[in-house]
This record gives sequence, structure tokens and C-alpha cells, in this order.
Amino acid sequence: MNRQDLQTIIYAEKAKEQNNKYKHKLCVCCGAGCISSGSEEVLKKLQEEVVTRGLEAEVEVIATGCMGPCNQGPLIKFLPEYTIYQKVDCSNIKEIVQRQLIEKKPIEDLLLFADSRTKPFIDAREDPYYKKQMKIALKNCGHINPERIEDYLVHDGYHALDKVLFQMSPEEVIAEIKQSRMRGRGGAGYPTGLKWETVYKYVSPQKYVICNGDEGDPGAFMDRSVLEGNPHRVLEGMTIAAYAVGATKGFAYIRGEYPLAIKRFELAIKQAKKLGVLGNNILGTEFSFDVEVRIGAGAFVCGEETALIASIEGKRGTPRPRPPFPAESGLWGKPTLINNVETFAGISPIINNGGEWYSDIGTPKSAGTKVFALAGKINYSGLIEVPMGTTLREIVFDIGGGIQGGGEFKAAQTGGPSGGCIPAEYLDVKMDYESLTSLGSIMGSGGLIVMDQSSDMVDVARYFMEFCMDESCGKCVPCRVGTKMMHDLLKKICEEKGTRIDLERLEELAVYVRECSLCGLGASAPNPLLSTLRHFRHEYENRITE
Amino acid sequence: MPKISVTIDDKKLDVDVGKTILEICKESGIEILTMCHLKGLTDVGACRLCLVEIEGINKLLSACTTKIAANMIIRTKTEKIKRYQRITSELFFAERNHVCSVCVANGKCDLQKLGYKTEMDHIRYPYLFPECNVDTSHPWYVLDHNRCIMCTRCVRACGEVEGAHNWNVMNRGYQVRVISDFDTPWGESVTCTSCGKCVHACPTGAIWPKAIVQGQLEKKPEIIAELIEKRKMNL
Amino acid sequence: MKTNTLSTDVELAKTDPRIKLITAKIKKENYKPDALIEILHTAQNAYGYLPMSVLKFITKALHLPPSRVYSTVTFYHFFSLKSKGEHTCLVCTGTACYVKGAQLILNEIEKQFALKPGQVTADNKLGVSVARCIGACGLAPAVVLDEEVHAKVSAEEIVNSINAKIAV
Repeated sequence: MNRQDLQTIIYAEKAKEQNNKYKHKLCVCCGAGCISSGSEEVLKKLQEEVVTRGLEAEVEVIATGCMGPCNQGPLIKFLPEYTIYQKVDCSNIKEIVQRQLIEKKPIEDLLLFADSRTKPFIDAREDPYYKKQMKIALKNCGHINPERIEDYLVHDGYHALDKVLFQMSPEEVIAEIKQSRMRGRGGAGYPTGLKWETVYKYVSPQKYVICNGDEGDPGAFMDRSVLEGNPHRVLEGMTIAAYAVGATKGFAYIRGEYPLAIKRFELAIKQAKKLGVLGNNILGTEFSFDVEVRIGAGAFVCGEETALIASIEGKRGTPRPRPPFPAESGLWGKPTLINNVETFAGISPIINNGGEWYSDIGTPKSAGTKVFALAGKINYSGLIEVPMGTTLREIVFDIGGGIQGGGEFKAAQTGGPSGGCIPAEYLDVKMDYESLTSLGSIMGSGGLIVMDQSSDMVDVARYFMEFCMDESCGKCVPCRVGTKMMHDLLKKICEEKGTRIDLERLEELAVYVRECSLCGLGASAPNPLLSTLRHFRHEYENRITE
Repeated sequence: MPKISVTIDDKKLDVDVGKTILEICKESGIEILTMCHLKGLTDVGACRLCLVEIEGINKLLSACTTKIAANMIIRTKTEKIKRYQRITSELFFAERNHVCSVCVANGKCDLQKLGYKTEMDHIRYPYLFPECNVDTSHPWYVLDHNRCIMCTRCVRACGEVEGAHNWNVMNRGYQVRVISDFDTPWGESVTCTSCGKCVHACPTGAIWPKAIVQGQLEKKPEIIAELIEKRKMNL
Repeated sequence: MKTNTLSTDVELAKTDPRIKLITAKIKKENYKPDALIEILHTAQNAYGYLPMSVLKFITKALHLPPSRVYSTVTFYHFFSLKSKGEHTCLVCTGTACYVKGAQLILNEIEKQFALKPGQVTADNKLGVSVARCIGACGLAPAVVLDEEVHAKVSAEEIVNSINAKIAV
């Protein structure tokens, strides 16, 4: 299929939307969270209800990706009014349809956040939960059917790819990404444009693009929701990257724990190939690019890029020392670009709106928006996207609805087992790469776990250390033995059997493991320990027996 | 071969391009502690003993895997590096059951030498005392997991030089173990050629020939590099 | 002394109809050793675990050294060398579930069925395992019972569901 054929399809789809064939669009959230709360049943019942009432000509019911507040699910969103109903039960669907669609009087008690707001908002966009957010990577999640490429096309899908292929040279694409000042969303925050440029500069007949979807942090599900809610966005980002760096083959490495994400991404690849936006001679040009899905087999360390490469090669996922970096010698020894799911999801908006537009969002050193997965003792756990530089207080209290059960905020853990905690006195910290690092935590991939006064910080450190110990690949000594030693010492202190000497040993080991480990897993494994020691040292001291 | 100038431990040197920091140091008589490195085998940077400080790079890099570059200023014996080498040495000893006095490698063991070199007078960390098997099923050789330090020199010697791929590593984290075939007893391996390269590659008393007693072990790890050189001559 | 156990097991495996699925996958992947993990996924899905005979079959088909296959299988937590029981109960111990009491659920299961994670009952009826995070953090604590996700469960509820399953 060439460019004209695709345009024809897009015009036809857009015309269909504009002709306003449907007066109402009912979106049922079918993200993994809502599915487990029974949203598929709700979807079926809702479709039946619409048919029973003979409304199928003016009401369209679709399944969408994640809408955000996962623990309020199942969710139904009524468009164009933007009214969202929460915790929908099959038994109240009849009533919801009657009141919302026929009588036009929404049932306030069932609206989103009705149980915690004094007056819920009929237009959910007015709610601080959504008002404080800014959706770029998640833009179409929750609005479109992720299993239909046409839905994506109507919402400017593959427009950026078209622009890149017909109006821009690879150098110009890289310049645009550099201008956006976007930084890798996988955790380390390496400038994306610079990474692309490095891969572009290596001359090789074969280069690869890899999408890192091995989201292994416990408590993080950003990549999952993007892959499930808008797989085409990621695929488009990968294709643009491939064009820019000169790759012809790509791999999407997705966790085995995410069967729905795998299914939808594979479907997206199939649809994209059929429409000629992926595969040989994309949109009739000379450029060809193919993507394959690789399923992770349960190893956190495979999020580290050299380990991920080993895993795609069918081996043990053990990292190797860098340099050489994958940009020079990656998959099968060829130059390889590895970016995170969320990074790829941010590419097409940058191309469509320009690098300058993106760089104006956020803070001077961290541009754009960041997706966070809120979990723990917070009222509205789920997925949010905010501009960089939003304060932790805004995230926890304005968006997250505060602490569950009226408890007191004690700390938030960012960056999962590689990150650290932020105590209450730093609630006004601006969430960007530098500020979090200066507090001894990291941005990480976006997991944000809120803890209240009942959380025992020594035990939290022990929990994350146990995780790192189990996930250590066992190749280098500091990580293999060091994490085990630190775990045993932490356990001893938790059981109030530790001495002051144990605490000293623990601190010495933590610094040693951080500096000597071969890869990022080992180097960051002591972070939760070091940051709880920094902010909650008295909790350790209190456990020490003299 | 073109030369570049570098500074190692305050000594200015003109050295060949394309070599690793470790190779350059060995040629220049600068001692660097190693354990997983063995001349002739691919370097993996796993033991972290050869970490060096390089000016302008904010993390320590392993000398065995890092290529030398022009104008590098390298330090190999700072207080920090010595301290870390001692901890590494202690962790090696605490990880498995190393009892030198009853070990066949006593006096000939690289791990024991490492202990002396890092001035390790005692071990400050609790011993893990894992349960480890001793595999005596092979007619000529013994594999004693108690003495294994997971340097994987046997794995690489078997795969890269002999081409038999009898050895590999199973599990992960502190539970890693060297295995033959499907964790099959060594004597029942279908891939082992009984060539004995792993015996010479092993730096400790983990793999040794039967019928020797404590302290009698003679190993020739240099045999691996010699073999590779001789093969080149045949070609 | 050395018997070629590899080929006898491979013959055994050929009588199993599920081996066809694996063969098809191997062919689709062009017998590439790089596809080992993909093929192991197919095998694990078909058998629920990786029996030794199947591993030997794959090893032979891909012409890989046995130690390479075994080292890969034991590295990844997804792959299991033991049967996990007729009914499986997977308790998520991700951070959100941990904060909301996954441990209480595990304790209750241990109390009721005398099973620790990774164990199977003597009659092979029930196997209990833990997942690091199934990504359903908003629904914590979550338990997957025979592929169904049970969200925000209490220890008591999940024990009842398990009893209902194993009674059948």
C-alpha cells in the first residue's frame, strides 16, 4: 500500500467520524486492571443494553486502554460529555444507560470519585485528578480501541511517520529529537537525541532498534498500559527511530507477565504491515523495517540493555561490561538502539508538534512529561502523566487523592528496587531527574509507591534487597555475594539481633556494591538501603542491640 | 603498530593501540590483581578485582575489558581500590566453604594468594556455609563446588578452546553453580572429552585430578594460551 | 559407561502429541539457536512446565550443547522443571501487594494447605507459587488461581476459592 491508499483510508475514517454517525461514544476501560475487575463482562452487558434499547445506530461502544484510576474500575466513559462512571457493576448498567443517555441526568453517586469528593464532576476533565495531568505518551489511551489501527489513524496516527519519510532526512529527525531535549524514560535519563545520533554515526550494513518493555520493577505498570492502550504509538516511534538511525530490523522485548500487551502489540504489527506502514517499502518508499516480538522469561536484570540483548540472542540474561556500548556493538555485535516503551511513545508527538514544543514542557533540565504508576497506601492508585517538575505533593494529594484511610504520608519510593525513598519533609520536591538524584533516589521508570506511618522502613529496605538478591544474575562478585550479605544483615537488624558493627558493615558493603558491580542492577541495588539510612536512620538505630 | 601515550600510576608510557588496560599493565610490569582473567580466554569482567580509576570517568572500569585510549590517566593502586579488593577477597572466602588446610590446592591456589596480596588477615563478614556437592563421578577428575568461586574459566576453556561445551552455569544470584550437561554427574556427561583443560584453567581447588593429596596439586593455567599459540603455528 | 541418554529420551518424547507444537515452533524459527527462549515458552505453555524429555528433544533439534539449554532454563524464573500441580495458585508479591498484605495470604495458605511457595501437595492437586509483580497493582492484593485473576482478595476468600477448586 502506498501513501495515497493510506490517505484514502484516513479520509474515509475521518469522514465517518465527522458525519457524526454516532452521537455518543461509550468507552469501557479494558486495561489489565479493569479486566481483572470484570470490565469485559461490563462491556458485553453494555453492548447488549444498547442493542435492547435500539440505540446501536447512534451509540458506539468500544473497549479502550487504561484510563488511569485502576482501583476505581471497571470504568465507563461517556463521550462527548466526558462523564465517567466508576466501579460499574453489571447490575447497574441498565440504570446508568437510562439516566445518562435517555434522561440526561447523570447518577451522581456512581460518578468517578463520588465516594471521596463532596461533589463529583460530571465532566471528569474538571476533576483535579485529570486537570493536573498532561497526557502526551498516554494521549490516546482510554479514547481509542487499541485493537483497531483505524482508530489510531484518525487520531493523527502514522502522520509523524509520513512526515518523516517524505519531508525529513534522518539528520533532521535526529536534530528535532535533540531539540526536544527528551531524555530516556527507562530510568537513567540519557538524552534520546544523542543516543540516536551515536547509533546513526556507526557505519554498518545491519543495525537494530530494540524497544525495552521488560518492565520489571515491582509496583510499576507504565509500559504495560502504553503497550495495551496504544500499541501503534510505540510501533510508530520505533519505525521513526529506525529511519533515523538506519536500522531495518527491530525487536520489542515484552515481559512474559503481560500477555495482553504481547497480544495487542503482535496484532498492531500485523495491522501495520497490512497497511504498509511497516514491512518492506514503507508507504511506497525505499525504507523497509520489520519488528518482531520477543517475550521476556522473568528476569528483572533483562531490563539492563546488555542483558536484554543476551536474552534476545537466546542466552542467559547476564550483562557484560560497557564499553563497548550497544550503540557500537549490540545485538549480534551490530550497532543497536535501545529505548524504553515510554520513550518511543513520545516520539510521534515531537515530530508532529516540533522539538521546541516538547522542550517548553517541564523543567529546564528535564523536558516533557512523565508517566507514573501510583500504588501503595494512596486513594487513587493507577496511571498518571504529569509535566516534569510537578511536585510530589501535587501527585500524592491533588491527583492521588491523599493517603488511604486518612493516614499520614511517611515516604514515597520512586524507582523501585533501584531507587530510594522521599520522606515527608521533601513533599515539595519537583519531580525531575536531578532533584530526585540529589535526594538519593532516582526517577527510574516511574513506579511511585506511597507509604504511610505503618510502613517499617528497615523492612522496606530488606524487601527491596531481597528482590535484588533474587534477581542478581550471579555473574560478578559484588552483586552476587554483596546483595546476599546485605540482605542477611538487614534481616538480622529487622529481627532486632543486629549490632552497631553489623550496621557499619552494612554501610561499607552498600558503597562497595554500588561502586564495584558490573551492571546497573548491582550498582543501584544499595539505593533503597542507603536512602532509608539517610532519611530514617533512627529506625535502624532503634533496632540495634548493643 | 601506532603508539599512543597514557599515564598509569603516574608513569608515562607509550603503548600499542587496540589492547586492553590489563594487557598494557602486564607488559609494563604493573601488577593488577585478577581472578576470572586467563590469557587465551575471552574476558568477562566478573571478579571486579582489576577495577581501575580513570580520570574523567566517574565509575570504576575493569582493566580486562576496557580498551586503552590515548591520554588516559589510569590509577591502579589507590586506597579505595585496595580497600575494594580486600572486600572482594573476603566475599570470595565467605561465599563458599574454603578450608585451605585440607584443600588439595593449599599453597598453589590463586584465591589463597589473593588473600595474602590483599592483606586479608581475617574475614569480617558472616560465612554463608552453603551446602555444596563434591562430584567424583568422573574417572579421572573431581569437581568440588565448595571451592568454586564462579570465575567461569573452566566454562570458557571448555567452550572456547576444547569446543566441547560440557560446562556452563545454572541458576542465578548466589545460587549459581557450575554444571556439566543437564546438571548431570560429570562422569555421565555426553559432551565431556576428558581433555583436562578445565583442570588447568581452574584457579582454586575446585577442579582437580584424582589420586593426589593435600598440597600436591600442580596446575598449568598458561597451557591454555600456549595451546592457542601452537594451533596458530599449525595453520 | 557413557550411554547416549539423549536419543532414548528424544524417542520417548516423539510419542507425545504436544511435541508437534514444539516442532512447529522450531520450524517457524528456522532452527535458529537464538530462538531457544521462544521455543521454551511454547514448550512451557504446552506442558505447564519443562519435562526433561522435552528439554532433550529441543536440545537435539537445535543442535545445542545440553549445558547451554539447561543454563538458560534455570536462569529465567518463568521456566520450571517441575510440575506445578493440577491447580495453580499464584500469589503476587509485587510492592503494592506486599504493602496490602500478600504475606498474610501466603501465611494463610501455608496454614491451610501446608504449602510454601514453590511447593505442590503430595497428591499433586495444588501448587502454590509467587510472582514478583503481575502488574495489577491497582487491585492489590491479587492472586491468580488457574489463570483467573482474583483482585483485592482477603486470605479467607482465596482459601475458599481454592477449596472449591480442589473439591471438584
